Amino acid sequence: MILTDEEKRMLEGEFGEPVQKAMEMLVAIGDIYGAERMIPVKSAHIAGLSLKTHGTAGMEWAEEMARNGAKVKVPTTLNVIGLDRSRDLGLPVDWCANQLRIERAYECMGCYGTSSCVPYYSGFIPRLGEHISWAESSAVVFTNSVLGARDNREGGPSAWASALTGRTPCYGLHLDENRKGDLLFKIEVDLRDIADYGALGSYVGRIVGTKIPVFEGIVNPSLEELVYLGAALASSGAVAMFHVAGVTPEAQSVSDAFGGRPYDTVVITAKEIEEGKEKLTSARERKVDYVAIGCPHCSIGQIREVAELIAGKKVNENVTLWVHTSAAIKGLAGQLGYIRIIEEAGGVVTQDLCTVLGNPEALGVKTLATNSAKMAFYAPGSNGLGVWYGSVRQCIEAAINGYWGPTV
Amino acid sequence: MSIKIKGRPISKGYAEGTALVCREPIGFNFGVNVHNGIITEYNHELQNKSIKDKILIFPHGKGSTGGSYVVYQLARYKTGPRAIINLNTEVIIAIGAIMGGIPVVDNLEVNPFDVISDGDYVKVDAVNGIVEVIKRNEV
Repeated sequence: MILTDEEKRMLEGEFGEPVQKAMEMLVAIGDIYGAERMIPVKSAHIAGLSLKTHGTAGMEWAEEMARNGAKVKVPTTLNVIGLDRSRDLGLPVDWCANQLRIERAYECMGCYGTSSCVPYYSGFIPRLGEHISWAESSAVVFTNSVLGARDNREGGPSAWASALTGRTPCYGLHLDENRKGDLLFKIEVDLRDIADYGALGSYVGRIVGTKIPVFEGIVNPSLEELVYLGAALASSGAVAMFHVAGVTPEAQSVSDAFGGRPYDTVVITAKEIEEGKEKLTSARERKVDYVAIGCPHCSIGQIREVAELIAGKKVNENVTLWVHTSAAIKGLAGQLGYIRIIEEAGGVVTQDLCTVLGNPEALGVKTLATNSAKMAFYAPGSNGLGVWYGSVRQCIEAAINGYWGPTV
Repeated sequence: MSIKIKGRPISKGYAEGTALVCREPIGFNFGVNVHNGIITEYNHELQNKSIKDKILIFPHGKGSTGGSYVVYQLARYKTGPRAIINLNTEVIIAIGAIMGGIPVVDNLEVNPFDVISDGDYVKVDAVNGIVEVIKRNEV
């Protein structure tokens, strides 16, 4: 790789050990992917901050870097963690203490402790064509596809390395030629809600793997629907970018999305959406003891929807209802009275935390209902939970009834 | 007599020790016990074998990107390999090794599986990219 003088000095240790380590990581990644040079990034988003991923050794590593003077060079946000810093949810004390130490170490390096997978809901919005180094697979796919920013599927350490140096190796989705579509999906079914978009993403992600899908026939989707489509694509597959013809910025039309190259077409009907939903359902019995909404974290609109569905009702005494969001969105939801409505009904609006990276299984719950395809995909492996997957209305009904589906 | 082979340094450093050769990719996340260095992946070529203090030769990493933190933990708990030689290092191994200070060399000018066997004594200079192999019967 060709490095600038400043980059060479970083590599030689002139700016301290953390910057040196960071530059070593980036050079290694650049060599592996054949990058010719580094490019400046405007922002970073560090993920993998859960104690489940870091372990206590990772925690000590972060603390050591902070002690050795690590400081971020570009605005850097932090991803969702396994703890709600505003309240005691009954999670094990050791777990919470170590989780907090990880978050604090990165805050000491100058990161914004946003603790959310949707930093773009609180003002961190990369623009079209901007180079960034964001981890968190759902955020990577969102910034590339919906905003048109340029980002590879970074992991926690590589995003950290970019944060400290302000650089990333120039390869993959930073280059024009790698941002074109690979396969067309023609949507011949009405997508009604987030659960339909999630099922579509989950079905398509399994087919395309790391390739770029192009969708035709998705009309006027909401922001949240695009977020949940992307999160599903990035969990069942390793998708870093998609196009929606006539909707996303690098796809004025289908042929624009493919850059004039030839492509194959897959037709999606109600059958494929149903199949997507079935694959996300892993529960054996109708009894539900845990309902979780908000993976990725809820927008203010999604919290309002839950409040409207649950107003004046009561969560079943055998059910824990968690609605996940960021501290920023939670502040607004509190102001607007949505949190009071949900909590009077017996639900909890959590901040910072999510089901997959948190530890709800420590509370003894067994069967989850959710409208999140990403959560439904990971919860069996990460939390050991059986899952019912459906609309937010079905999930809130399950929270009230204590079981999934129509009244017995 | 020893053989000297050139390669590409990925994670800088120097180490020497006994070779452990594995022809299968290794997935570190959920695939190794960080407290003793024993490979736990079911049906893996190295299942129930320890990689602790070895010069570990394998093609490349696989699986979850969380594996970087596991490689780092192995270094931290001193239960990991002293050095790694890969055919082609991918990002999971590279990042974890750099975090933990485990020397890594890849892309040797000859196939390491042809010249290195279990029990050979190997010196890995991952600053200059030179691997020196002393065959077991000559140690």
